[in-house]
Amino acid sequence: MDGPALHVEHLTKRYGDLVAVDDLDLEVGAGEVFGFLGPNGAGKSTTIRVVLGFTRPQAGRVRVFGVDAADVVHAHRLLAHVPADVALWPQLTGEEVLHLLAATRPGTDTAYRAELVERFGLDPSRPARTYSTGNRQKVALVAAFATRAPLLVLDEPTSGLDPLVEQEFRETVRRAREDGQAVFLSSHQLAEVEAVCDRVGILREGRLVEVAPVRRLRALHRAEFTVDFTGPAPRLSGLAGVGPVEVLAAGRVRFAVSGSPAAALSALAAARVSALDVREPGLEEVFLEHFGQRSPR
Amino acid sequence: MSAPVRVPAPAPAPVRARAAGRAVVLLALEQVRRGALVVALVAAALTAVVAASHDRVAGDPATTASLRVLAGNPAVRALFGEPAALGTVGGYTAWRAGTVVAVLLATWAVLVTTRTTRGAEESGAWSLLLSGCLPLRSVVARHLAVLALAPLAVGAAVAVALRLAGAGTAAAAVSGAGTALVGVLAVALAGLSAQLLPTRGGAAGAAVGALSAGLLVRAVGDGVDGLSWLRWASPFGLLELSRPAAGDRVAPLLVLAVAATALGAAAVAAAGRREVGEGLWSRRAVRRAPRGGLGSVEAFALRRCLRPVLAWSAGIGAYYLLTGLVATSVTGFLDEQAGFAGTAARAGFGGLDSVEGFSASLFGLLPVPVGAFAAARLAASTAAEADRRSVLLAAQPVGRLRLLGAELTATTAGTLLLVSVAAVCTWAGTSIGGGGLGLGAALRGTWNTLPVALLAAGAAALAVGCLPRAVVLVGLLPVGGGFLLRVVAESAGAPAWVVDLSPFSHLAAVPLVPADRAAGAVLTALALALAAAGALAHRRRDLLG
Repeated sequence: MDGPALHVEHLTKRYGDLVAVDDLDLEVGAGEVFGFLGPNGAGKSTTIRVVLGFTRPQAGRVRVFGVDAADVVHAHRLLAHVPADVALWPQLTGEEVLHLLAATRPGTDTAYRAELVERFGLDPSRPARTYSTGNRQKVALVAAFATRAPLLVLDEPTSGLDPLVEQEFRETVRRAREDGQAVFLSSHQLAEVEAVCDRVGILREGRLVEVAPVRRLRALHRAEFTVDFTGPAPRLSGLAGVGPVEVLAAGRVRFAVSGSPAAALSALAAARVSALDVREPGLEEVFLEHFGQRSPR
Repeated sequence: MSAPVRVPAPAPAPVRARAAGRAVVLLALEQVRRGALVVALVAAALTAVVAASHDRVAGDPATTASLRVLAGNPAVRALFGEPAALGTVGGYTAWRAGTVVAVLLATWAVLVTTRTTRGAEESGAWSLLLSGCLPLRSVVARHLAVLALAPLAVGAAVAVALRLAGAGTAAAAVSGAGTALVGVLAVALAGLSAQLLPTRGGAAGAAVGALSAGLLVRAVGDGVDGLSWLRWASPFGLLELSRPAAGDRVAPLLVLAVAATALGAAAVAAAGRREVGEGLWSRRAVRRAPRGGLGSVEAFALRRCLRPVLAWSAGIGAYYLLTGLVATSVTGFLDEQAGFAGTAARAGFGGLDSVEGFSASLFGLLPVPVGAFAAARLAASTAAEADRRSVLLAAQPVGRLRLLGAELTATTAGTLLLVSVAAVCTWAGTSIGGGGLGLGAALRGTWNTLPVALLAAGAAALAVGCLPRAVVLVGLLPVGGGFLLRVVAESAGAPAWVVDLSPFSHLAAVPLVPADRAAGAVLTALALALAAAGALAHRRRDLLG
């Protein structure tokens, strides 16, 4: 096991004219939880399919702890996968699926698996055809975490889970990181990414437009001030770090501040502020801003 | 926040339902029309070729008389049906090709019906459809109505082919109508089993099983004098009883139509009484403790193969048991009637004068069902890939070669078992029916056909690698295509090299004559080469789904 948990170099995958992934470079360190964000069709699932050796790229290469991802016999000993939209053999019970998956790879921790079945609230005695989307996802999550593989490749693993199970999922990811496992987490659940990830990469039209630690990405955005005042309108335009000022009503303005708010605060002093609301935007707004949309209000 | 929201007024309910109904009908048509066209062309071609051979075989009054005596034997009747009006194109073609075309059409009808109804429901493709304004009952009814159009088209094609080949108008119409009605009955039967059983495989298996039972009932009715009324209980018996060119009876056709209507009505009623995604016959929902066959990808492939192997074994076993039972009677009869062997050979039933020859000629058919089994198994593995059931296994530290290798191993094991079942059942049948064929000879005979069945597995494996959406079609090419090519080419007197294109032309009539080891080795090597090419292509291509 040499090198980073996941190393993607100049990866390009085209389907005919459609460029799904375009010269992508990416690195996930051992023990790191990496959030992989992007709108539908950005190339997230294609990237994961290349990581798993399901799809051959036109250019570039992917290595898992230094092992070529196309060499699935060796690379897959080092990773476990939870697909988006889990499909199971309908006639097998959950327990049989877990049994099969443990038998076809070395090193499943069966004691931990039993604990995970309990924590995720999975009834493993039922045939898979009777499972809901969330229950199928639980089977795949239990199987993946129970491997204790050094890299977990999770493709939107919580889209069908209820909030309580999702909390268990976040807790399990944190435990995996404490144990030194790396997690590559593709997700639309920004709260989840914000809660568990160390770093976030944002993919757009097959290209990585941003890679940043979660806290820095959040800091990229400006704080949003909404001010009610009774005195004269404050003169904010042109101050250092202050963006365009929006007049919401008589005696009410909204503006964004990046960096130090000192200049804005001193300008507000004379306006006899009656109410002040400062909001630090969530990752969702940072994310949406990157895709040229305004967050809905 | 409190901006008024304008809700568009819904269209009146009858208008919505009518539009939705039309959309469902179009959806069903789209899924059926291509297959229906192919089946209609094949049925018409088969009918035309057999009809065209009428003058050569049955035009000679002496031969016709001989054939009639031959058909006086109950065992011969059990196998080939009761001939009528062999001197006419309509009667002769109905006897030689009628059942074959009807079986072909009925099998296709079952497969397409279960695929477009239960299959679509099982895969979730109907979820959106059923969340619309049409209830399950209407969606099923509309699909069955559209599906029933396909056999009508095939029947029309058969009637036209017969008429153009010189059959009388009434005979052509009765033949076409009979074929069509057997097909419609198969659609209704499969529609009903798709309401009772919750999986596509189970529904198709049950319907094919019921049709096979119908064939056996027809055979018993034809073969046992006191039981000829049994034919009224079998679709294929009713087809025979309609007697094209020898009475052109309408009553059996009416029985077929009534039975098909009743089954269709039962299917629609059953659809109205069950939940979406479930069958009317419910299943256990809880199962403790894992069963076997989950220890490796190979064991899992064998486990998934088990049920289909048992189902195919039952069908193939029943057929060879029956032929074994009548073998001694047929061959003994031929032996007594010196001169008929030659007649039979001219009519396309060569080598029937000894149990070995009789068995060998029936073993010659064996690669068709066994090869179809192999193609179906490999198609099931690509279906699992396409609907992403196999993603979790593909994400294990197991290479693609091993994954496909496991499927090929299980499929090959299944084909070995099927050919052995055919041998054991033939041996058992001949033993009960008077003896004459040893178990060793039977095994040599059926195992001799294995290379042709393996050729189907090899072709299907190649398709898994190169044409994953057409695995069944490519897999059936060597056996279905090869068989038809040989029959058609020989009937039409095509040059030898055309006949030799069919792998069936290289099968020695074991156990009548020794096996052609060189031909067997070449066919096996070809099968292995195809499988290897398929495995390499599969390794290099992107996974489906």
